[in-house]
Parts: sequence; structure tokens; C-alpha cells
Amino acid sequence: MGRAPLVFEWIRVGKNRVVPAISLAGVSRRFGALQAVRDVTFDVQPGERRAVLGPNGAGKTTLFNTICGDFPPTAGSIRLFGTDITHLKPHERTRLGIGRTYQTSLLFNGLSVLDNLFVAVRGLRPNRFSFLRPSRGDDGMAKARELAERMRLSHLLDAEVVNLSHGQRRQLEVGMAMAGDPRVLMLDEPAAGLSPGDRPELLKLLRELPRTLTLILIEHDMDIALPAADIVTVMKDGEVVVQAPPDRIEDDPVVQAIYLGGGH
Amino acid sequence: MRDRLLLLSLLGLGLMAAAPFLLQAMLPANQAQFWTANVLGRAAVFGIIAMSLTFLATYGGFISLAQMMIAGVAGYAVAVFVEGAVPRIVGGLGYGLAIPLGVLAATVMGLIVGAVSVRTRDIYLLMITLALSMGVFRFVETNIAWFNGYEGIRNVVGPELFGLGFRDPWLFYYVALGTAVLLLAGVLYLVRSPFGLVLQGIRDNPRRVAALGYNVALHRIAAFGVAGFIAGCGGVLATIYNIGISPGTIGLGATVNVLIMSVIGGLGHPVGAFLGSLIFTIFDTFAANLYDRDRFNTLIGAVFLIIVLVSPDGVIGIGARLRRLLGGSKP
Ligand SMILES: Nc1ncnc2c1ncn2[C@@H]1O[C@H](COP(=O)(O)OP(=O)(O)OP(=O)(O)O)[C@@H](O)[C@H]1O
Ligand SMILES: [Mg+2]
Repeated sequence: MGRAPLVFEWIRVGKNRVVPAISLAGVSRRFGALQAVRDVTFDVQPGERRAVLGPNGAGKTTLFNTICGDFPPTAGSIRLFGTDITHLKPHERTRLGIGRTYQTSLLFNGLSVLDNLFVAVRGLRPNRFSFLRPSRGDDGMAKARELAERMRLSHLLDAEVVNLSHGQRRQLEVGMAMAGDPRVLMLDEPAAGLSPGDRPELLKLLRELPRTLTLILIEHDMDIALPAADIVTVMKDGEVVVQAPPDRIEDDPVVQAIYLGGGH
Repeated sequence: MRDRLLLLSLLGLGLMAAAPFLLQAMLPANQAQFWTANVLGRAAVFGIIAMSLTFLATYGGFISLAQMMIAGVAGYAVAVFVEGAVPRIVGGLGYGLAIPLGVLAATVMGLIVGAVSVRTRDIYLLMITLALSMGVFRFVETNIAWFNGYEGIRNVVGPELFGLGFRDPWLFYYVALGTAVLLLAGVLYLVRSPFGLVLQGIRDNPRRVAALGYNVALHRIAAFGVAGFIAGCGGVLATIYNIGISPGTIGLGATVNVLIMSVIGGLGHPVGAFLGSLIFTIFDTFAANLYDRDRFNTLIGAVFLIIVLVSPDGVIGIGARLRRLLGGSKP
């Protein structure tokens, strides 16, 4: 898996067309009778910042779940840099370069902040399965500390995660998603529950991310979503209803109908 | 905090190491021997088996009722292959080979149990591991050619060490204690390794573990393999202690007893398994003298209820509870 298909893909697509970082074709997901995501088709280019907006229950999180594999699509296909990942297991997709956060933090409550980050860092290393304790100078540990510093959690390295505040949990959540140096980073409402004071800080962090990274961001807060995005995708009832640059979003009649009129 | 814990552990270890001498000084010779081998030694052996359950429960969140059966697999493997066992099934091996073979068989059985149950959790995991235990139990009980049916295999006396028979009370006790301490130290080392941290991650949040790039199934199966190894060490010692093995050793009663030991001791730390096993063994030994045998179940049931009601996290939880009650004002 991985290498060979990528090469074939590259030959097929040709040198002069860029292979999209994420390419969704007719992606759908049902839960029993409920069609949570319906026939979604769009590409995200490498280095692009994509924001996904939409009212509650629009299917944004479910779309993330189809991409990362927690709930694979029931129809359609997903490509990551040209590789078909539609049928891969979540950990296999992660190893191909997807990192994500969750709308409600999914952390290891019984472990310390440092251990959470260390486990996150090790997940993409070839020695991830090991019965041997890390040595003093272990570079995985060093990287975990560095991430803690970046997420401003350095003073809490030994704190058990169950004792963290909500804001700190969100920071750790993002740090763990970035630990594997993903090529595509998907953040599900990173600002949810953050105090107004923490929001500019988060926006700054998002803008500082290197352009080698592709970012897909679900966010209700327009003050974060619009400045951070190159293109905005608006979903409703499982479908994409608008796709436009951020400066055209607030004036879009469909978006206004969804957010102000609550639909017809 | 950490220093106090270390001090406490060293104190406990010293006490256990000195126990045969203290008993000898305090009691008549035959009673001292009885306490050394049949209470403390036996508690260490069954503590090892209970610890294999506690290890899975504490760090993985898995309750496995297959651990006594897995210990039995080690015992049967030794009994089948060792020279001198009666009846002779295969024979031919010395203890130096038969014991590692037994532990290996238990490890493989642990891996199998882990693989079969890999998609289940909670009550379903409990049921599937119980079903596997009972399946092996019935198979062994009805199979004459390999396991000599319900009579089992006798005369597994253990190797000679330092010119002493393995069942010399002091020798047996120190071997059991040494094995227990080594395994406990191994577990405490392992849980801080990447494998152990990922295992705790699976306990807290399996979905996130997969999202980070780990193969959750592989780690689960490996954890059951580790637990199988631990149970196997206990199973070999238990078989030598009993001078043989029969299907009753891995029956429903024995399976439940191991669970009771683990819960009495507490599932918060692997050392709880040894405390639970010690309490269980003491009651098991002396209740039999006080009442008739059947009353034992009533008694241990009552003890179980009281401990679990007073402290849902077992005996090791009582210490923490007392400290919180008494030292509530401390910082
Ligand atoms: N695992 C699941 N099982 C059944 N239904 C689900 C599941 N996950 C999501 N749904 C349903 O799919 C629909 C879309 O939910 P989703 O969480 O994707 O919405 P969302 O756009 O992320 O909303 P929010 O802004 O509230 O997070 C909802 O009706 C939800 O109830
Ligand atoms: Mg959502």
C-alpha cells in the first residue's frame, strides 16, 4: 500500500496537474435510515485552508469521520494525495498523513499531559510497538515536551489529564493531532468552549501553521473560520450548499437564510 | 509521595523475605512450615494468577475470566511432558524444558484468547472469556488420551534445587516469592513503556489510539499474551504445589476464586492481587477448620461483600480512603 499506488496515480494524473490533498467523490454516510452525509464531492488542494460551516446536525463531523475512517463512507470514494483510502482502517489512514481533533476531546484521562503527547508522537514512528521504556534522551519525549511548549502546557507536564480545565483540554487535543506531523490536519470546532480571550490566540496558532500543511477546519465562530480560510464549504442536511471564498460567504443569500432565517 | 510508596514497598518486601524466619521464631516447627508454604507460598502463587487478571483490568480495562484456565494450560503442558508424571502421557522432558514449555503454552493461549475476544468489551468480553474457560475445562475433563480425564495427572513434584526437593517449604516459598516480585516489577516497568502507555490509552479511549496511528487489535492481543505469560508462571507453580493437576483446578469455582481475589485486593494496582490472594488464602485455610467446607463459600462471600461495600476499589483502596477521611485538612 502507499508508495506504488501513489506513483501510478502520479503518472495517470500527469506532472503538470497538482494532485489534491483530499479528494471526495460522491461521499455519503447513512446511519440506519438517517442520511447524515449525502453525495459530497469536492477537492482540497495541498496547503489550502478549508473551513466547513453549517448548522447543527448538518453532517460536518460525520464528514470528518468518513475521511479519518472512524465511520467510513457508505458510498463514494476518498483519496488522500491520490491514494484511495476509502477502505483503509483509521490507523492506516493516520499513517498516510491524516491528523484530527474531536469535537468533544478524546484524551487519555488516566495519563499525564506528557504521556498523552508522547503516545501521540510515537503513533507514527516505526518503533511505535515497544516493550522498552524510552531512554533519557529519547527524541519522542523531547518532541512531546516541545509540543507541550507550543500548546502552552509546559507547566502541566505531569498533571493528570482528568484534572485539566476545558481550555487546556482543547489545547492538548490540538497538540495530539499535530504530534504525528500530519500532511492534512482536520480540526473539529477547536474553539468550542474556549473563552473569548483564548480565541485570538487560537487564530494566531492556526495562521502560524506552515503552508506545507493542509488544514480543514469545522468552526461555528465566523471570526475564526473566515480569517483562517481560503475557501469555505457550507453544509446543510448532509449536503454541500455553498462553496466560496470567505469574503463572499457573509453576503451569500443561502448562508444568510441558514444562519439568520433558519431555513424556509 | 513517590518516596513514601517506595519505602512502603521495600518494607513489605523485607517483611515477606523475613517471614519464614519470623514464623519459625514464633511458632512450633510444623506450624511454621505450614504457614510458610501453605499460606504465604500459596498466596504468592495464586496472587500471580490473580495479578494477570489485575494487569489486564487496571491498565487495559479488560476483565478476563480466562486467566485461571490459561494458568491451567501451563500446568497441563508441564504435566503432559515432564518425566515422572503419572500417568505418563508424553513424558521424556526434564523440568528445565517442561517449565518453559508450560509458560510458552500459556502465553500462546493468552494470545489466542486475546485474538478471539479482540472485538468485544465489558460484559461481552467477560462472557466470551468465561465461555473459552469452560470450553477448555470440559475438553480436558472428557479427554482421557491427553489429559487423563477427570482424574488428571499426578506426581508433578518439581525439580530439585540446591539439593532440596522443590516442595521443601522454604525453597518453595522463596521461589514463589521471587517469581512474584520479578513479575510485579516487570509489570510496573512495562506499564511505563510505549506498549503500556498505549494499553492505558486503549483503556481510556480506543478510538483516539487508532486515530494516532496505532493498531489497537495488535496491542490488545499482546496485552493478553503478557497476561498469559504471567498466568503461566503462576500455573506452573500451582501445579507443583498441588503435585499435579486435574480439571477441577480450572473449573468454574477456581475461575471465580481468582476474580474474587482480584476484586478483594483491588483493581487499582497490581499489588492488590497479592493482598487479595493473601486474604482469600487465610480465610480458605482457617474457615475450613472452623466450619465445614460448605460454609467457606458463605464466609468468603460475606468478606467479599463487606470489602466491596466499604471500599469499591478493594483493600488497596482502603488505605487511600482512610487517608482522605483522616487527613482531609492536609494540603
Ligand atoms: N454515530 C452516529 N450514529 C447515528 N447517528 C449519527 C452518528 N453520528 C452522527 N449522527 C447523526 O448524523 C447527523 C449529522 O451529525 P453530525 O455530528 O455530523 O453534525 P454536525 O454538523 O457535526 O453538527 P454539530 O454542529 O452539532 O457538531 C445528526 O443527525 C446526528 O444525529
Ligand atoms: Mg459536529
